[in-house]
Amino acid sequence: MPISGVSTVGQPGQEPATGPAAGLPVPPATHALARMGRAVRSNRKATTGTVLLAAFILVSLFPGVIAHDSPSADAYSPRLGPSTAHLLGTTAYGQDMFAQLVWGTRNVLIIAFVAGLATTGIAVLVGVAAAYLGGWWDGSLSVLTDVLLVIPLFPLLIVIAGYAQGGSTLVLILVLTVTSWSYTARQLRSQALSLRGRDFLEAARVRGERRLYIIMVEIIPTMTSLIVASFLTNALYAVLFASSLQYIGLGDPNTESWGTMLYWAQNNAALQTGQPLWAIAPGACIAALGAAFALLNYAFDEIGNPALRPMRRRRIKRAS
Amino acid sequence: MRRLKAIGALAAAGLLAAACSSGSGTKSNTSAKSVVTISNENGALWTCGFSPFNGSDTLLSVGFVYEPLVFVNPLQNGKTTPMLATSWKWGAGNKSLTFTIRKGVKFSDGKPLTPADVVFTFNLIKKYPALDLAGVWSVLSGVSATGSDQVTMTFNTAAVPFFYYIADQTPIVPAHIWSKIANPVTFTNAHPVGTGPYQVNPCTNANITYTANPHYWQPGKPNIKKVEYPAYTSNNTANDQLATGQAQWGSQYIPAIKEFYTSKNPAFHYWFPPTVNVSLIPNLKNSLLANVKVRQAMSYAIDRAKVSTIGESGYEPPANQAGIVTPTFTSWLDTSLTSKYNYSYNPAKAKQVLASAGFKMGSDGIMANSAGQKLSFSVINIGDYSDWVASMQVITQNLKAVGIALKPDNLTNTAFDAALYAGKYQLAYYDQQTFGPGPYYELRNWLDSANTAPIGKLAASNFERYSNPATDTLIHSYAATTSTVVQHSVVNQLEQVMLSELPIIPVVEAVDWYQYDTSNLTGWPTPSNPYAQPAAYAYPDMEQVLLNLKAK
Amino acid sequence: MRFALRRLGFFVFTLWAALTINFLLPRLMPGNPALAMLSKFHGQIGPGTLKALDILFGVNTHQSLPAQYVSYLHQVVTGNFGTSLDFYPKSVTSVIGGAIWWTLALVGITTVLAFVLGTGLGILAAWRRGGRLDSIMPPVFVITSAVPYFWVGMVLVLIFGISLHWLPYLGGYYVSTDTPSVSLSYIGDVLSHAVLPAAALLITTIGTWILTMRNTMITTLAEDYVRMARAKGLPGRRIMFDYAARNAILPNLTGFAMSLGFVVSGAILIEYVFNYPGVGFMLLQAVQGEDFPLMQALFLLITLAVLLAILLADIVTALLDPRTRTAG
Repeated sequence: MPISGVSTVGQPGQEPATGPAAGLPVPPATHALARMGRAVRSNRKATTGTVLLAAFILVSLFPGVIAHDSPSADAYSPRLGPSTAHLLGTTAYGQDMFAQLVWGTRNVLIIAFVAGLATTGIAVLVGVAAAYLGGWWDGSLSVLTDVLLVIPLFPLLIVIAGYAQGGSTLVLILVLTVTSWSYTARQLRSQALSLRGRDFLEAARVRGERRLYIIMVEIIPTMTSLIVASFLTNALYAVLFASSLQYIGLGDPNTESWGTMLYWAQNNAALQTGQPLWAIAPGACIAALGAAFALLNYAFDEIGNPALRPMRRRRIKRAS
Repeated sequence: MRRLKAIGALAAAGLLAAACSSGSGTKSNTSAKSVVTISNENGALWTCGFSPFNGSDTLLSVGFVYEPLVFVNPLQNGKTTPMLATSWKWGAGNKSLTFTIRKGVKFSDGKPLTPADVVFTFNLIKKYPALDLAGVWSVLSGVSATGSDQVTMTFNTAAVPFFYYIADQTPIVPAHIWSKIANPVTFTNAHPVGTGPYQVNPCTNANITYTANPHYWQPGKPNIKKVEYPAYTSNNTANDQLATGQAQWGSQYIPAIKEFYTSKNPAFHYWFPPTVNVSLIPNLKNSLLANVKVRQAMSYAIDRAKVSTIGESGYEPPANQAGIVTPTFTSWLDTSLTSKYNYSYNPAKAKQVLASAGFKMGSDGIMANSAGQKLSFSVINIGDYSDWVASMQVITQNLKAVGIALKPDNLTNTAFDAALYAGKYQLAYYDQQTFGPGPYYELRNWLDSANTAPIGKLAASNFERYSNPATDTLIHSYAATTSTVVQHSVVNQLEQVMLSELPIIPVVEAVDWYQYDTSNLTGWPTPSNPYAQPAAYAYPDMEQVLLNLKAK
Repeated sequence: MRFALRRLGFFVFTLWAALTINFLLPRLMPGNPALAMLSKFHGQIGPGTLKALDILFGVNTHQSLPAQYVSYLHQVVTGNFGTSLDFYPKSVTSVIGGAIWWTLALVGITTVLAFVLGTGLGILAAWRRGGRLDSIMPPVFVITSAVPYFWVGMVLVLIFGISLHWLPYLGGYYVSTDTPSVSLSYIGDVLSHAVLPAAALLITTIGTWILTMRNTMITTLAEDYVRMARAKGLPGRRIMFDYAARNAILPNLTGFAMSLGFVVSGAILIEYVFNYPGVGFMLLQAVQGEDFPLMQALFLLITLAVLLAILLADIVTALLDPRTRTAG
C-alpha cells in the first residue's frame, strides 16, 4: 500500500524538496544531505524511525552479543514458555526463540537493503532516463512502468516463486527486484520531468556538459530526497513481500529469518497449541521494522511538503 | 468514532449470526448418535468418483462399498477374517489357491454375489493393467470358477505373500454392471454398487454421506447407520473439527496433539501404530557411500531418539538398523542380532569407524580421505513435509558432529519422485509407500534386485540400487513357503543383511494417524485391541472399524 | 471519448502483457517445472486434456515458440485453461467458479467499507488540523499500513477466536454441519465466519485511505478557491464537502486503483491465515500442490479483476473530473 497515496513530493508544478527558486545556484549534494540530517533530527517521526532502524541494524551486526544461544540447534526442551533462560521460550523443536529472532534480523535486513537498493537503482535509471531522454524512450519506458504497476505484484511473485518452487534468499531478492520498481520509477520520472525545464540544467547544457554528466551530477543530486524516500518505500515492500513469501512456504525453510519462523509456527499450529509468541513475535518485529521505514518515509514527505507538517500552536505574544 | 462503530456493528451482527446458526462449535451430535464423522484432510474437494480401481478414489469406496475376499490384519501379523470368501486352501507347491465363496451375499442393488463376479473382477484387472493397483497379475497366470461355489487361482511363480494383495487388497465388483462399461479405466463410477456395508447417498463437493446398505450380508450390521466424510482442503480446518468434537474419527497429523486435542476432552484419544521405516537412503553407486564403513558411521551418528522427539514430536518411534518395525512386528525381531551389532547412538564410535576407513578430520570440520574426497553430501527431501524437513535438520546436526556434512535439498513431491526413482541423488529421505502383514513386505521392496534399475532408469522400490544374488535367493525362498518357521528364519537372515550391509539407514518409523472420540461411540481399535489398521484412509481396514463401532 | 479509448487500449495492452508473461514463465524456468508434473499424470489424462496442457505449458510440443504462442493465445481467448491437477478431472474454470464468490464478497465489501470510512475520517482529520485526531492519526496509520497483513489476522485469531471463543476463525462455514443453501442458519454461519477476515482486511487497508485523503485535503484546503470560499463566508461544512472534498477525492480514486494490487495481496494472505475458501487461498494451495494450470488461470483472473477495477475507477474519475479527459 502506498504510504501516503499520491506523494506530493515530485509532482509536476510543485517545488522540489531542495531545489531553489528559479535562477539561484543549486547547492551541492553534501549540503543537501546535511540539510536532510537537520530535518530528520527536528521531526519526531523521523527520529523515531531512525532510532528503530538503527536498533535493528545494531542487532543484525552483533547478534551473538545479544543472544547467546544458537538459533538453529535443537538444543533445549521443546515448547518451553518465556523464562530468564529463554526470553521468549523455545519452539516445538527445542530452539531458543529469542536467538532465532535476533539472528533472523540479519536475513531480513539484507533483503531490505539489497532489494531496496537494487530496486531503487532500477527505478532511478528508468525514471530519470524516461524523463530526460524523452520521446520514444519516454513512451516505451513509461508504458513498461505502467504495465508493471498495474499487474498485481504479489500474485505475480507467488506464481514466479511457485514455478521456482521456492528458493534461497538470493532468488527472493532477484524476483523482488525485477518486479517491484515500477511505483517509485513513476514518482521519480514525475520529479525528473518537473526539473527538465529548469534554468540550472539549461545552464549546464549551454556550458557544453554531456548528457550523462547532467544526469549524474545535476539531476540526480537534486532528487536526493525523493530517491531516499523511494529507497525507504522499496525496502519496506521488500521486507513485507519477502516475509510473506517465506511465511507461505516459498522461501527456504532452513534459513534463519522472521518469515521462516512464521512458517514453522504456522505448521505447528502455534496459536492453537499455546505457543502464540512463536507467531506473534516475528510478526511484531516485521511490523516494527516496517514501521521504522514507513515513519521515515512519511517524515520525508513532510520534509518535502511543509504543508503536511504537524501544526505547532503558536503562542501569540500579546502586547503588554 | 465511525470506524469503531462500524466494526462494532459488524461484530455484533456476526455474534448474533453465530448464536443463531446451527453450526456451533460446542454442539455435539447428540441428535444422531449412530453417526460418525471422519476427519481426513484430502487437500481438495471431492470429485464424487468412486472407482475402486482409481488410486485417488480407493479410500472412498473400498471398505465402504466394496469388500475383499478376506480381511488380513497387518497389525496382528496377518490374522485373517473371512469376508466374501469363507475358506481357502493352497494347492500343491503353493502354485494354486482355491477360495470358497460365501453364499447369500447380495450387492446393494439386490442382485446376488456369485463366484462369477470374483472371476470377472480378476479378469477385468488383467485386461486393463491400469486397474491392477496391487500388481497381482505379475504372479497370477489364471483365475477361473471351479465347482459351484469356488474360484481357483493359478500362479506362474510361488508367491505366497501375494495372498495379501489378492485376498485383502482386491475389491470385488459386480459383473452385471462393470461388464457394460466401455472404458473401465476412465469410468468415474458415481453411483457405486458393491457388497459392502454402505452406499453413497449423496455425494457433493463438500461432503460424502454414506448410509447403511439394507442388503448387507452381516445381519444387524452396520450399527452406525450414517457416515459423514467432509472434504477438507487444509489441515488446520480438519484438525479444528476434531478438537471441537464435530468429527469423531480422525486420521490427521496434529502438531502438539496434547495441547491441541487430548487436553480439550477426556474422551479424546489418539494412537499412532508404526507401519514402515522412514530411512536415510544412500545411493550405493556413489563411490564414497558405497563404502560400508561410511554408512555404518552414519548409523552410529544419528540420534534416532532425538529425531523422533524433535522432528516428529515423539509421534514416530525410533527405528532400528535391522529394519524391523516395532512394536508392530516385534515377534520378528532377532534381538540377539541387534545386540550383537548394536547401532545405538554413539558418535564416538562413528568417528572411530571413519578413522579406521582412512578418513581424517579436515580444518573445515569435514572428514576427508587420503585422496582428498570429503564426506559432504546433498540429501533430497520432500519440502512439503515440514516434519521431515525438521527431522533432517536434526540428522544434519548429528552428522555434522562426526564430520559428515549434509546439505538438505528440499524438493517438491514431483521433483523428489523424479530424482529418487531415477537414482539422481546422493542421499534421500523417504519411506516405502506400501505396508503389509509382516516385515517381509517392506524388506522385499528395499532388497530385491528385481525392484531396482540402473541410474537414469526408474527403479520400482529399491531406490538405493542394492543388489545381492544371495539376498534375492532368500527373498524367493520366503515367497515359496507357507511355513512360519521358514519365514522367520528368512527374515532373521534379512535382518543380518540390513545390519551387516546397511543398504539403507532406518531412522524413525512412520505411523498411521489416528484420533478417536469415545463420547458417544465405542468399539474403536486400541493398542490393546488392534483388530484393524485404525486410519480412515487404510482400506479395507476401515470397514472393520465401521462394523465394530456402535453407539454407547 | 478519446480518453476512454486510450484507457481501454492500455487495459488491453496490459492484459496482453500478463498473458505473455504467463506464457513465458514456465518456459523460462530452468527444467520446465510443468514437465515433471505432467509426467506424473501420464496415462491418467485423456489425450484432449494433455494437448490443452501442452499448449499452456509448452511440454512435449514440436511447435516453434511463435507457433506455440499463437495456439496459446487462441486457447486462452476461447476460455480453455485446461484441467486442474489437484481437482482432477474438473476443469480449471469450474474449480475457480466455486471459489470466486467468496473472494469477491470479502474483498468487495471490505474495500467499499474501507474507502467510505477511510475517506470520511481523512476529511475529518484534515478539517480539524492540529486537533488531537490529526496529530495521532498519521503516525498510527502509517504504522498500521506497514504491518504485515497476515499478522493482523493472526492477532485477531488469537484474541477473538482462540482466547475469547467469540468467533470462528477457520474456513467459510462449518463444512461438516452446514450445506450451502438459502437458509438463515447457513447465512448466519457464513456471516460469522466472515467477521474476522473482513476486520483484518479493513484494519490493514483503511490506513492508506485516511492518510491519502487527509494529505490531499490539506493540499486542497490551501488552494485559492477554498480561501475565496472562506472569505465569502460560506459555512464550513459546505466548503469541506462541496469544494474541498470533491476535488480531493479525485487523486484518492487514482490511488485506489493503484493500491488495488495491494488489497489483492492482503486478501490472499488473509484468506491463507483464515483458510477462507476464496481464490487467494486456492492460489496458494495450487502453488503448494504444483497445480500449474490452476495457478496460471488464477493469476490471469486476478490480473483481469484488478484491470477491470482500475478501468472502472478511471472512467468514474473521467466522468467527475473534466481535466483528466483532456490531459490524457
